[in-house]
Amino acid sequence: MPEVKKLRELIIPLTDYPHMPHWATLEEAMVLLNFAYETGHDTVLVFDEFYKLMGVLNQREILRGVQPKFVEISLEGVPVEREDLMTTANPGQLKKPIRDFMFPFDIIVDIEDHILKVADLMLQHNISLLPVTESGKVIGVVRMHDIFHEITGFIIKSKK
Amino acid sequence: MRGVRDLLSIFRRAKKKAEIPEARPSDRELFKERYLCFQKLLSGNNAILEIMADMEEKLSGDYIFDISYVRSTCKNMVEKVQNIIQNLDKLSNGKYPGLYDAFKKINSVIEESLTKEAEIPVTDYIIPFEQATKDMVSSVGGKNANLGEIKNRLNLPVPEGFCISAYAFKSFMDHNKLRDKIILSSVDIGDIVGLTEISKEARELIMEAQIPPDLERSITNAYLELSQKVAHRVSALHASIRSSAIHEDAHFTFAGQYATALNVVSESLIAKYKEVIASLFTARAIFYYKSKGFQEEDMAMAVGVVEMIDAQASGVMYSRDPTDAGRYAIIINAVWGLGSYAVEGRVSPNTYVVSRDTDRTILEKSAPVQRVMLKCSYGAGVEEVEVPGERRGQLCLTDNQIKTLAEYALVLEKHYGKPQDIEWALDQNDNLFILQARPLRILAEKAEKPIPTTFPGYKVLIDKGQIACKGVGAGKVYLIAREEDLKNFPEGSVLVAKHTSPKFVTVMNKASAIITDVGSRTGHMASLAREYKVPAILNTEIAMKTLKAGQEITVDAINRNIYEGRIDELIEAGKRENPFKDTPVFEILAMVLKSIVPLNLIYPEDERFRPEFCETFHDITRFAHEMAMGEMFKLSDSPDIRRGEAVKLQVKLPLEIYVIDLGDGVEYGLDKVIIPDNIRSIPMNVLLRTMMALEWPGPPPLNVKGLLTVIAHTTMEPQSQEALWDPSFAVISKEYMNFSIRLGYHLQTIEAYAGDNINDNYIHFLFKGGGASLDRRARRTRLIKEVLEKMDFNVDRTGDVLDARVTKYDRSTIEEKLGTLARLTVFTKQLDMTLFNEAMVDWYIQEFIKKHYTAE
Repeated sequence: MPEVKKLRELIIPLTDYPHMPHWATLEEAMVLLNFAYETGHDTVLVFDEFYKLMGVLNQREILRGVQPKFVEISLEGVPVEREDLMTTANPGQLKKPIRDFMFPFDIIVDIEDHILKVADLMLQHNISLLPVTESGKVIGVVRMHDIFHEITGFIIKSKK
Repeated sequence: MRGVRDLLSIFRRAKKKAEIPEARPSDRELFKERYLCFQKLLSGNNAILEIMADMEEKLSGDYIFDISYVRSTCKNMVEKVQNIIQNLDKLSNGKYPGLYDAFKKINSVIEESLTKEAEIPVTDYIIPFEQATKDMVSSVGGKNANLGEIKNRLNLPVPEGFCISAYAFKSFMDHNKLRDKIILSSVDIGDIVGLTEISKEARELIMEAQIPPDLERSITNAYLELSQKVAHRVSALHASIRSSAIHEDAHFTFAGQYATALNVVSESLIAKYKEVIASLFTARAIFYYKSKGFQEEDMAMAVGVVEMIDAQASGVMYSRDPTDAGRYAIIINAVWGLGSYAVEGRVSPNTYVVSRDTDRTILEKSAPVQRVMLKCSYGAGVEEVEVPGERRGQLCLTDNQIKTLAEYALVLEKHYGKPQDIEWALDQNDNLFILQARPLRILAEKAEKPIPTTFPGYKVLIDKGQIACKGVGAGKVYLIAREEDLKNFPEGSVLVAKHTSPKFVTVMNKASAIITDVGSRTGHMASLAREYKVPAILNTEIAMKTLKAGQEITVDAINRNIYEGRIDELIEAGKRENPFKDTPVFEILAMVLKSIVPLNLIYPEDERFRPEFCETFHDITRFAHEMAMGEMFKLSDSPDIRRGEAVKLQVKLPLEIYVIDLGDGVEYGLDKVIIPDNIRSIPMNVLLRTMMALEWPGPPPLNVKGLLTVIAHTTMEPQSQEALWDPSFAVISKEYMNFSIRLGYHLQTIEAYAGDNINDNYIHFLFKGGGASLDRRARRTRLIKEVLEKMDFNVDRTGDVLDARVTKYDRSTIEEKLGTLARLTVFTKQLDMTLFNEAMVDWYIQEFIKKHYTAE
């Protein structure tokens, strides 16, 4: 009888995952995720100065942060060259702190939790990434991608 | 790495929880006292470097100095070195007793060099010419020794005579206690009036003094013997009394410095002897002695009592043409009568030029009309008389006599191994005599041409800076951006660097010149350049910017010009002989400098950077300076500091700052509380003002509480949060600051000295820690390291610990760098959290430079 992996084996340690203090600018977050592109990490964990987790910032929030101007313009029915806007859009927004763009986050799993509980929380809240704590301390994240792979793999093997 | 380990221990101690500062004035007094020691040490260090630079410059041969200069300078330096050691002792609570031993050892070597005395050998008062040879210079003087040598070893004809020895002179001086009465060291060679006075006094003392009775008897007896010896030729002996000073002719030509008494009869013998030895103390002779570097004790004079040759003709002969050493000829000058007129140039002499070939072919003969001549008077002395008509315009010598003299010249030159300057006489019976022989000064060799300053077609690239070592060098530019660059230094290149470093010594045997943007002639490196004779121009300000790697340049560190291209003419002109190289005082100076200047303690991190390895005063001062800075650096972390009389600084910064004033660092108002406007400390002011003008990364203050309640999950150990609220301490004075900052999760100390002497100035920056994982903390230190290196800091980094220094910049540059350091501090606050990978680090480096740093 194959065994399902523990959550500890599936997490990405915090050291390998993008995170920033909340006063970092949108531009810095953008740069960070760009440099992290090859790793597949698409979210920035946001901490306060005491290293307490405040929220997350993902690609969606960042795009929303850099986008508003040309969205507004096109909504008013003015034809715009979107390519021009790419280089000139929103310097003001870029300098704003990421705490203005992140969404607060209070769903957390403990390292001892079962992966089915993790999957359940992800479905329930429609999120694909969860911070993992151990003794109250954030030690990493777990992605739906890895949970999916583990659970479905387990089911397939059990069928045989 | 030892340094970094030491510094780490500071942080370990600093982790202790802060106590509330309470007033303990005695501790503050203690700090002040230590700071005073530090300042005294700094100024002592500068004074020593100044003295060293001065002494080394004297070695260049461009200056005249005497032994009392060397003595007083050494004495001054010894006092300064002792002061430095004592101050370090107080500052460090007696941590380096070994320095006293090192000092003692070095000082005794210097003392020995300085007190080396030329002994006057104990001999008979009288030494006959038959016994004199050139090895007896110290007993019979140069002139007598030569005459003896010529007589006894070469068998050339010289007049009969005897020497009154140097020991006789010493006995005379001792008998009258004249050494205690004539103190030459008290007068400076530049003081002509003083020299004249002391000279007059000395000569009067000698003329009034008593000849010891036994010496007088010896002289009279010797004279009697001499008259018997020549009785077959002359009825009554007349003599010439000639000076034969101890150092005369041996290495130096004291030509014409001393008296000679001609045609002396026995009655006036003793008086004339005194006259001759008194001439040892003419103002001119004293100047010459002192400037050639002889010591007072070296001044001794033997005297020659020589049968007077009543010459029909006499003159001077050179075994080579002194104005053209390459010419293959002997030059003979001749006058009618006594030779003084030939030596003094009173009349136009006959001139004969004789080829040095085997035939001694006479190449030229000229006989201008000579109207007057000097001859022995009938009784005693000499007189000028008219040249008899039949001799006027006639040749003084026959061809045979000319050839004989030429022969003598070649024999003498061969014997002494160098060209000779010879005095000769022809007596009334046509006998030739050699009266004197000494080395010939070849003038052409010594003519020193000024170094030209314009070279058409060659561009002057730099024409400013400070010359640290004179000379001319050329080669390809090799830029030193960091220490590692020294490893591949190409032979013959010109070292070009932003600032000076004693570490450059490792390539000084390869460098043809050194140029830096910043630096001073009194720095450690300047001293090394002089020791290795590498032409050096420092403080050019623009060398790194102006000169291109690989570019061929010629460095004229005499006129302070740097030219594009290689100018062979200039390099040739730059080769200068030091005319004083062989003088005794020069040798003494060179010898004591060996115990003063060379630097053996170069790398502070080296195991041998310890008192027992100090071999020179330079080593001691460098060691003391380094250690003193180390002691001061630890001051703000001293366990006593929290008990010291620290005053809270009211400032709009997310920091809790306490200030301890060491003197003139704070101007107290009416309140006990101080605000930034009260700060008088130059470095602290720069730091505070810069930090206050910046926007600090962090939460808007009002929201803090609200945010705290959002989520209580953290990445940190709970207890480490306390670190955030630790106070920062600043120990300051007018020029000094030692600021230990607790900023978020990292610790940093910024120490700086910003005064008027660039040798004192430095910034020492230490950084460690952070709240993120080790790899991110290490990335932050890399970021800081690279920025600091762009600011010309010397940076040592191990993991997340960084130790950076910059030294010897002028005050405004130090202030500028402190400003950048303040911006960097704020910029990198908790930035470690963000540093996901190395690419991120690079991006932030660029960001910082773009926003906050523009290279000078």
